[in-house]
Formats: sequence, structure tokens, C-alpha cells
Amino acid sequence: MNQLVKNILRFVFLLLVQVLVLNQIEIGFGIQLMIYPLFILLLPVDTSISGLLLLAFLLGISIDAMSNTYGLHASSLLMVAYFRPIIFKLFAPRDGYDPLLETNLITMGYKWFINTFGILLLMHHLWFFMLEMFTLNEFAFILQKTALSVPLSFLLCMLVQYLFMNKSSSK
Amino acid sequence: MRNFLAFLQRFRVLLFFAFLQGLALTLYFTFLQFPRVQYLTTASAVTGSILEVRNDVTKHFNLSKNNQDLQKENIALRDSIPSSFIRLENGLVKIDDTLHRQQYSYIPATVINSTHHKRNNYFTLNIGSEQGIKRGMGVFSEKGVVGVIHNVSKHYAVVKSCLTENINIDIVIEKSGQFGLLKWNGKDPRRGTMWGVSNDTKVDKWSRVVTRGGGGIFPRGISVGKVEKTEAVEGKPLWDVTILYSEDYRSLQRVYIVKHLLKKELEDLQELIPQEKEE
Repeated sequence: MNQLVKNILRFVFLLLVQVLVLNQIEIGFGIQLMIYPLFILLLPVDTSISGLLLLAFLLGISIDAMSNTYGLHASSLLMVAYFRPIIFKLFAPRDGYDPLLETNLITMGYKWFINTFGILLLMHHLWFFMLEMFTLNEFAFILQKTALSVPLSFLLCMLVQYLFMNKSSSK
Repeated sequence: MRNFLAFLQRFRVLLFFAFLQGLALTLYFTFLQFPRVQYLTTASAVTGSILEVRNDVTKHFNLSKNNQDLQKENIALRDSIPSSFIRLENGLVKIDDTLHRQQYSYIPATVINSTHHKRNNYFTLNIGSEQGIKRGMGVFSEKGVVGVIHNVSKHYAVVKSCLTENINIDIVIEKSGQFGLLKWNGKDPRRGTMWGVSNDTKVDKWSRVVTRGGGGIFPRGISVGKVEKTEAVEGKPLWDVTILYSEDYRSLQRVYIVKHLLKKELEDLQELIPQEKEE
């Protein structure tokens, strides 16, 4: 499938899943499931940083518009987009990235995925919850929310990739 | 100039990032205080209609419980209409005479979207300015107070719910008459706190807390919840009163919006109070 069409479809799919399903699920203990940072991770490697930032802002603000958070998701997703090239460079494979290959769990392997996406997701959640509470008095609660939400969101994103991606179609 | 251009060139990514981040944060903090436009909230037509479709699917999930609640309310209302009383003397009871003038009217609405686990939670209603909804009107359900209208579009409205930090509804402990403001600590959607109760008074456990009815947003006596516990606030002569909400906002669907018919009169009168000088 064409890269462009694929990414547009993914944009809409992740947006709707986040707003209509995940935002309605309540597990308690301050846990919030988030799947939309996956969109930024899966964009082609050779996307320019400005493009990443623009797309991140667009996706974030669309989620905000549908869940009355007024820029909270946009701001957090911008963090992910800005740090993606830096993190990617840090964990680059020995012979560089293959620009035709999509950087997902299956093509890049566990270790790479846990390193890159783990760090980006942690960054995203920490920023998100800090901005949402906007007080350092309850830093323990912010940490609790982050520590509980990150693993669950991470597992969810892994699951989605296993379900919808396979080795042949992601080339 | 060349140096400046080189600077821009060098840091263009960071500057672009800072620009977008600044935009997002500005939106976040201005909207949180006072929404100027409604196209970036669930009150806008596009997102409103998507959420309405979602509500069409999910509204039946709690159907039996909602029906029971409505039935209970129906019985309570039926008990109070004139035809359910035995008439002792003909033509004696007429409520809508010149001695009683209707002060509040109520508009029914349905909650089509809500969150409960964020720091500040807003509910979306399927009713808007075309049905006469205005910013600042009170919203309650048959079990308790829900919030205040925060933002209105033509067909939808966003409610600032009792699950936001500074909802600041005037509430009063029914039995003893102490009043305070309603706040929420962001953790438990079943419990809120009451701010401003002086600690030289005794607050009975499980006494009912209702709206105070000032400001013309709510009529007096709409249930908020019950006092669950009181703790001393450090360094202030106040009680930290925890309230167990009477409404479970997680299964909320049918709400009523309060329309205060004499609001203008009340506001005009209160404007005559001489303002204290700012300290």
C-alpha cells in the first residue's frame, strides 16, 4: 500500500480509537491508556523534523478537540516528535536505517523497540501528567500515574502491532 | 543580519518546536480559564456529531439502571401533583397564582460524552444555544448536582463538572447551615471536598450537603452528597470536609439545566452592593 494512504488511514484509526474507546476506559489508580504516540514512531525514517512536528501538532490538537483538553495532548505529542530523531540516532542499527523499511516492532526487533518507544512514551506520559496536574505538590501522584500508565500503554501498542502488521506487508 | 539568518537556519527546528509547543500551551492555559471560541472543544459541530453517534451506541449500556432511576423520580413527582392529594375543600389549592411566581424552569438534556479520570473533567450535552442554554447555567441530575455550563455552541454545550479543580459551587451543610465552596482533588470521582468551613464548629458525619442557592445558578436544596469525614487543615482554622457525592458521575446520562427566570433582577440588585476596596 502507498505510504501516504497508509499513514493517513493510521492517523484516523489511532485518533478514533484513542477518543472513542481508550478515553472512555477507566481502570482506576490514575491509569490512562494512550495509543496515539505510536503514530509518530511509525512514520517513515526520512520524514523531516518539521513534518514530524506538524503532524504531531495536528494529531494532538484533534484529540484535544474531542476530549476537551485544549492542547494537552498536542503539547505532549510534540515532545515525542521533537525527541524522535535524537532517540533514533542514539539507537541506530550498525548499518543505519533502511529508508524503505517501516520502523516497527517486527522489522526492528524487541530490543530496539523497547529502547526507543519506551523512552519516548515515558517522556510523553511524564510531560502529559505534569502538565495536567500542574503542581509539584503532588509529584508522587504524577509519578504513580506515569509509572502505572506507561507499561500498560506500551503493551497495548505492542499488541496492536502484532495484530495489524506482518513482515511481508510492512516492507 | 547574516549572523542572525545563520542563527535562524541553525536553530530552525528548535524554533519551530518552540513555536508549536508555545501554541499548544497557550491554548491549554487560556482555554482552561475561559474558553473564547468553541471550535476546539467538543461543543463544535464536527466533534459533537461524532460523539453523538458514539452515544447512540453506548447509551443503552446502563439502560435498566437509568430506567429505574427515572421511574423513581416519576413516582416522587406523581406524589406531589395535585391530583394525588385528596381534595378536602373544593377550589382551595392553586399553586400558580399571584402569590407564587415561577422562579426556576428546567430543561432536560442528555450527556453524550464525559471523562472522569482527568484532572479537570468536562461533560458534553446534546443541547445548545438554540434551546436557550447560556454560559453559567447550573446542571443537575435527579440524584445530585453535576456542574455549570462552561461553553455553548448552537447545538451542543460543555459542562464544567463537579470533577474539576475549581468548580466552586456554593454549598451548605443542611443541618447546621455552614456554607463553603465545592472543590475536587483530582483522584476519586466519588468524593469531593468542601472548602471554607471554620473549625470552631462541629460538623456531623453523614449530614446532607446541598446547594446554597446563591448567585442564581442553582435553586437551594439540590443534593450534593454527604459528609464522609472531616480533617483539620494544617495552618488554617478550617476543616477539610470530604463529601461523598450522591451522584455517580461515571454512569450519568440524564441531566436538567436550571434556567433562572429572575436572574437579571437578582444580578441588578446585587450590583448595588458597594464594592470593597481591593487590598
